[in-house]
Amino acid sequence: MIGPELADIKLLWPELVLVATALGLILSASRIRKGLRASTVTLVAGCASILVYRWPLAEGPRAGFENMIVVDGYSQFFKVLVSSALILIVLLSARRVETDNVRAGEYYALLLLASVGMMFAVSSTDLIPLYLGLELTTICSYILVGTTVEKRISNEAATKYFLLSAFTSALLLYGIALIYGMAGSTSFEAVASFLSDTEGENSKLILVAIGLIVAGLAFKIAAVPFHSWAPDAYEGASAPIAAFLATASKAAGLAVLGRICISAFAEEAHLLSLILATMATLSIIVGSVIALSQTNMKRLLAYSSISHAGYALLGLLPGTPEGVSATMTYVFVYVFMTLGAFGVVTALGRRGERIDGYEGLARQQPVTALLMLIFLLSLTGIPPTGGFIAKFGVILSALNAGYFALAVLAVACSVISAFVYLRVAVIMYMKAPQVEETSSYPLMVSTALLVSALVTVIGGILPGVLNFWEAVPQ
Amino acid sequence: MTTYPVLTVTTFLPLLGAISILLLGNQRSARWIALLTTIATLSATAPLYWNFDKSSSNLQFVESVEWIPAWGISYGMGVDGISFPFVLLAALLSILCVSGSWVAIDTRTKEFYAALLVAETAMIGLFAATNLFLFYIFWELMIVPLFLIIGVWGGPKRIYASIKFLIFTLSGSVLMLVGMIALYQASGTLDFKELTITQFPTEFQGWIFAAFLAAFAVKVPMFPVHTWLPDAHTEAPTAGSVILAGILLKMGAYGFLRISIPILDEALQLFLKPMLIVSVVAIVYGAYITLVQTDIKRLIAFSSISHMGFVTLGIFTLNQSGVEGAILQMINHGIISAGLFLCVGMIYERTHSREIRDYGGVGKLAPIYSTLLALFCLAAAGFPGMNSFVGEFLIISGAYETKMWLGTMAIWGVALGTAYIVWLYYRVVMGKTNAKIENLNLELSAREIATLAPLVLLVLCLGFQPDLVLSYLHAPVTELLTTGGVTQ
Repeated sequence: MIGPELADIKLLWPELVLVATALGLILSASRIRKGLRASTVTLVAGCASILVYRWPLAEGPRAGFENMIVVDGYSQFFKVLVSSALILIVLLSARRVETDNVRAGEYYALLLLASVGMMFAVSSTDLIPLYLGLELTTICSYILVGTTVEKRISNEAATKYFLLSAFTSALLLYGIALIYGMAGSTSFEAVASFLSDTEGENSKLILVAIGLIVAGLAFKIAAVPFHSWAPDAYEGASAPIAAFLATASKAAGLAVLGRICISAFAEEAHLLSLILATMATLSIIVGSVIALSQTNMKRLLAYSSISHAGYALLGLLPGTPEGVSATMTYVFVYVFMTLGAFGVVTALGRRGERIDGYEGLARQQPVTALLMLIFLLSLTGIPPTGGFIAKFGVILSALNAGYFALAVLAVACSVISAFVYLRVAVIMYMKAPQVEETSSYPLMVSTALLVSALVTVIGGILPGVLNFWEAVPQ
Repeated sequence: MTTYPVLTVTTFLPLLGAISILLLGNQRSARWIALLTTIATLSATAPLYWNFDKSSSNLQFVESVEWIPAWGISYGMGVDGISFPFVLLAALLSILCVSGSWVAIDTRTKEFYAALLVAETAMIGLFAATNLFLFYIFWELMIVPLFLIIGVWGGPKRIYASIKFLIFTLSGSVLMLVGMIALYQASGTLDFKELTITQFPTEFQGWIFAAFLAAFAVKVPMFPVHTWLPDAHTEAPTAGSVILAGILLKMGAYGFLRISIPILDEALQLFLKPMLIVSVVAIVYGAYITLVQTDIKRLIAFSSISHMGFVTLGIFTLNQSGVEGAILQMINHGIISAGLFLCVGMIYERTHSREIRDYGGVGKLAPIYSTLLALFCLAAAGFPGMNSFVGEFLIISGAYETKMWLGTMAIWGVALGTAYIVWLYYRVVMGKTNAKIENLNLELSAREIATLAPLVLLVLCLGFQPDLVLSYLHAPVTELLTTGGVTQ
């Protein structure tokens, strides 16, 4: 066996940029008084990591570190997505960090490290670095959720999130251990060849192992029945952090699932497809129905993110590259429209947390209301927004996999969620304002909103732009 | 030939107008920008009119650009004789909507006209789309501005009406989405022409037909999914009602002509009988319900159900005169109901009442108004010399060709239609002047007369010279009925 070469480090350009920045921020944390300086540094790091994403790809897809990490179009797509989410979240955090008395250096360092964890997870081709990457992300996320130390609800959310997450991480690890016990290796390649050789032996153990691993990952993407942490965690966390959990974290989880589906567990596609179809069905129903009764905007978006996890899973059902590509489109669009919606919540401050707070928004802040309308329409999946294109792709995958009834159910539930989202639109446009005008929000927040809105609309009008990017793992 | 992509320009000019209103306009200039945009849009259709080849059943002015290469979906625009009149109607009605809302809409005018123009883009785009994907996009795009127009500028029960409208139409259209994706999955294309040639298994066709039926039936609206219509039409501001009755209702019937008949020809035979029965039920039941209404706007809204019953009856007779009559009648109903809703809106602005009992003797106070209203009422009743006489005549003769009793029921519907509209006119315009409106100035202003004039002209022109529309229909309808596998 060849040891890890130093040259392999070149595969990790985007990660290196972020890690270096995070370390720098931690070292100088005590000296950072102004949040603005730390956020600028983080922004620059995020942009730099996007700029260098192509460097490792110069000679085509490459594996490194004893085949534990692979750099291909798929991993780089998600790395860019995670970095973009990071950038937008840093922009959104601008005000929160100032007002909530958060220690800026640590806050941004944790965000950076969490992103690095995701980047590792999406390029892993071995279960161990995958686990390490996901854990790095979740451990940083616990702290980020509880970052507003003064608020009890924030502490409570962090504790709940920690307890449930630690439990499911253990499940994931247990699944990995079972696989290692049977296959004698944790690399995707070895697992795949083991599964194709077994021919019916150990089938129950394989079922348990796959079930445990999928359960562990389902927790990260908040798919039913592993979703119960999401509403509490989102409600307790500040809006940008909730957005981070809902977008980047979920994108990474889905990316990992997608890669596992078509590489390591490709042999068990049928079983996997059944498990995923069940989770998708439950997530879509539970997410859209429970969202009906929410009065808190962050909880509403939490349930919306649960149902969207279900829709995104539809793309993985056929176990084909086209299906994975549909999920990639879905995740891409989802990240931006959800960030946009959370961005409006952030922009409106305290008013944005409650659904009543949106009353008459269209009269007081027509531009914000219009942007929110775009995000809501996209979440509903109404053309010409990106949400429609995304939904078209995943429903096509569901039909390709032969799940006709599930496709009908999915669109039927999208009518329910239409009611959920457009109720907010009704409140914004058709009710008289109750709350007095709030002060305008910083330039950084409006930049983030505009970028999200642009991506959401362009994703719908020129979906070819997205297809161009997507590269499915081989 | 023309040097610019006429249909694309026509479709997206209003959108451009909407964006410029949002960016530049203030509350005052918004309506001027909107008026100029809608007039420019209608003028942009002129090349269509001059260069249209009536003898061809093919799509004309075709534009096609690769759009989503991964799915093999292109951006395709084109019109044939069936869709061409609707493009013109949509462009014309949009102008009247702007001028009809000139003073009635006094709050948040900027947003109102922007929404109206977005709706115009959706209307024109829908009729010009040559593939199902684009058709669906415009279909859904239509919902949002109308939802806002009803919900923000509507009457007292506007929020209820707008949500009901949204949920009904969305429920139908998401099923259409599944149907569309299933068609795409089975054939790998969404182009109307290519789908027409593709042969699908009968059972599959049945499911797809049902999925599309859900969307089209809600829009038409067919009995029994019509219940959103009276609320939406009644609560919407005048311009909203005009768009709803004038164009939106036709989108469903147009869908039958574009998709259900040519593409799903085998399933059509299965669904034919229920469709005919439901159409007749809509005609008669709709007419009876209309008779007992006490709210003028609601009465006209309900009459649409009956009138659209004629349209679907004509379409599903599947013979030349029935289908041509149905398409002509769609145009006619677009013109007449727009006229009626505009008339109601104009008098409502002065009296602020829609109850019939608050009126009476309007004829003495407003002779010009009463004359114009009489004209639209007679047209709605299918009076000879007016446009819808020809349409109804063709539909009924088509219905007789199919089944005796269908035609008889339709005639019964015409009789009831005359009854409710004449009775409405009698109660509003004739008789003793109602004390509540005695001191009001009910006569129309020059702007309002100018708004109604094009419609009056069309009612009479199409009444005496229906060939203006029918000549466009012969070739494509013949083509539709032969390739649709109907004549076996």
